[in-house]
Amino acid sequence: MEKTQKMHRGRFSQAIIYLGKLFRMFLFQSDWKVLPMSAVIAGLVCVAVGSNMYKTMEGTQMGCFALSCVCIWNGFFNSIQVICRERAIVKREHRSGLHITSYLAAHMIYQAMLCALQVVIMIVVCQAMNVTLPSKPLVIPWKLADFAVTLFLITYCADMLALLISSFSKTTTAAMTIMPFLLIVQLLFSGGFFSLPKEAQPFTNMTATKWGLTALCSVGDYNSLPMVSIWNNALKMKNVEVEGEKPIEEAFVYLEENNMKEQFLMQSAQHNQKPEYNFDDDIVYSCWLWLLMWTCVYVIASVVILEFIDKDKR
Amino acid sequence: MNTLSDMARGGSYLIDLLTFFLTSAGYYKIFEKCGVKQIYALIPFVRDYQIGRCADREDDGKELAVLAAFLAVVYFPMQFLQYNNKLLIIVMIPYIALQIARLMLHIRVYLGLIKVFEKKKLWLLGFLFIEGPVCILWGFSDKFMPNKKVQNFSDQGGARETGAVVDTMEDGLTVNIDKRTAVEFFRRKTLLKDIHLSIPKGHMVLLLGGSGAGKTTFVNAVTGYEKADAKIELGTRDVYEEYGQMMYDIGFVPQQDLMRGNDTVMLTLSDAATLRLPSSVSFIERKKRIDEVLDQFGLAAVKNNLVEKLSGGQRKRLSIAMEFISDPTLFILDEPDSGLDGVVARGLFEKLRAIADEGKIVVVITHTPDRVIDLFDDVIVLAKDSTRTGRLAYYGPVSEAYDFFGKKSMEEILLSVNQKDEGGEGKADEFVGKYADRINGKVG
Repeated sequence: MEKTQKMHRGRFSQAIIYLGKLFRMFLFQSDWKVLPMSAVIAGLVCVAVGSNMYKTMEGTQMGCFALSCVCIWNGFFNSIQVICRERAIVKREHRSGLHITSYLAAHMIYQAMLCALQVVIMIVVCQAMNVTLPSKPLVIPWKLADFAVTLFLITYCADMLALLISSFSKTTTAAMTIMPFLLIVQLLFSGGFFSLPKEAQPFTNMTATKWGLTALCSVGDYNSLPMVSIWNNALKMKNVEVEGEKPIEEAFVYLEENNMKEQFLMQSAQHNQKPEYNFDDDIVYSCWLWLLMWTCVYVIASVVILEFIDKDKR
Repeated sequence: MNTLSDMARGGSYLIDLLTFFLTSAGYYKIFEKCGVKQIYALIPFVRDYQIGRCADREDDGKELAVLAAFLAVVYFPMQFLQYNNKLLIIVMIPYIALQIARLMLHIRVYLGLIKVFEKKKLWLLGFLFIEGPVCILWGFSDKFMPNKKVQNFSDQGGARETGAVVDTMEDGLTVNIDKRTAVEFFRRKTLLKDIHLSIPKGHMVLLLGGSGAGKTTFVNAVTGYEKADAKIELGTRDVYEEYGQMMYDIGFVPQQDLMRGNDTVMLTLSDAATLRLPSSVSFIERKKRIDEVLDQFGLAAVKNNLVEKLSGGQRKRLSIAMEFISDPTLFILDEPDSGLDGVVARGLFEKLRAIADEGKIVVVITHTPDRVIDLFDDVIVLAKDSTRTGRLAYYGPVSEAYDFFGKKSMEEILLSVNQKDEGGEGKADEFVGKYADRINGKVG
């Protein structure tokens, strides 16, 4: 019964073992279905809001917000059930020497690959549907790289948030109940799309949608795009008569006859520029850092929570 | 305008204060009737928990107390915010959500109280709308009496203790548990007390005990998974001090077959071997060990099958094989025969007997011991004493256990130590004392 000190598998080896398990689950437990799902969702978004994305200010903001939401949705669905569905198994394995950090590291690597694949699929779908995408490099000197990194970081941040929910939820039902609530928070508190009271603005810093939307608008050079909403709204009023005349219609005719429509659109855009969406690498870096920071917070919280898995009641 | 709103706010405070005092006074007397310390009625949050206990809804009481505490945290900052402040609206959202949850829990607790006091459910409306006066009425009127009281178990009393520490057995497992306590919702409970025994190598031991007798707590304490005020030695090595190493020398098979259904038998065992065997074991040695275990547990023919396609017996054998792969000295199994028919269960226990015969210590929890009792050497009987603490009522050879308890089967023994409210004979204290006398007699 006397045994000498024996070394067992370290954290790295354990992470590799679990990574293998996760990839087997990807193939055999239908986890791969998130990939075609992301293609379908990206396609729907492209149909709905893709036509004016990165062409006009309004279209860009709406399209970027929709893309952020797709990323959040993908991230949430990737990992919302992955831990809670095998919680009892993790508890048993933790008892047999599993390091929680290895287990989560395996999930982080696997989910990173999944998120990257989803981003590639989204971009391919966008291009296949002729959606305009950012063409000027800003941080990384390759076309579309900044755009892709931003989409990846939003998806991964949401993925890790879902992993956190999955870590503390005892059942898949509980996790799926919490998810819509968090989804609504992410949508409402994006900060750019819905008007929020000043007092609520600090809460927007907690959402991946805010940093994602800002970065996506920034890499697409939002402030250089024309604004069409004033033109379109004014156009609806072209038949308004003032003292028997139609001054708005006359103004439209004048602008179009003199090829000044573009100038008008750009001028109206100039008055509605948002400094936070400037084509500035500092802004994009800052957004990426925020997304990474929240990702780290979620991962650390998941580790801490799962370390207490032994306290689960039978 | 400000004066008006201030007056309304003042009036609201007054009503809240009055309700609190009336409810406190009512609770004070209700707690007396239910056997709870009356002073708790005056302590916010604690009284919410205690009223839950009176209503025989302790878990709801806990949640109610936690919610009340959260509400207090949200409520006080709200008082400093102006009505037109938008931050107030943001704080109001969780406040309203918590209030709704609190209302639902209050309904559950008061329905429980109505049931305990055997009154009509219509009283619920009274509790909800005029809580203070209704509490006063229920507390002070003799017409409102509970049909049962809250059970308070103290650590004092209970059956006699041996206090006899067992000497270290170099070729076996030595267990000296003084106490295992746990704090649950500000109350310290003693789960196990005074368990001293040693099991020699090569023995297969039955762990017998009713629900709540502390079988799982005992197993967790012995394996070092949940440390107790104890000294556990496997050979001469202290399990608690060397837990990082010893966990691989102790195999614990849980009741449920906790394995991933989409893995094959081979992969499941291979991953278990990689995790549990020392990293110095080569790939070839590991493969050899996996093949040995597959053969030993009769799984070689299904090694390429998915776990989810296995039969109940095969799955159970795989679950055991996962732990056995590291060749542990101490092997503990929690109801390995649950869900298995008699023949399959017998076959499984024969395999466990063979493992014990290899010089291992095998401890098995089972609720149907009599069909396989001939395979066991010893039996540990745990019982809840009058303080609801898990105690050792017997440890020794199976054959002597029948004489000790004056019974003919293990199920009868279990029945004799189970509490009366569980359908047993309630003789736990008697046998715990008798066993303590026997040990003290032996020790001298």
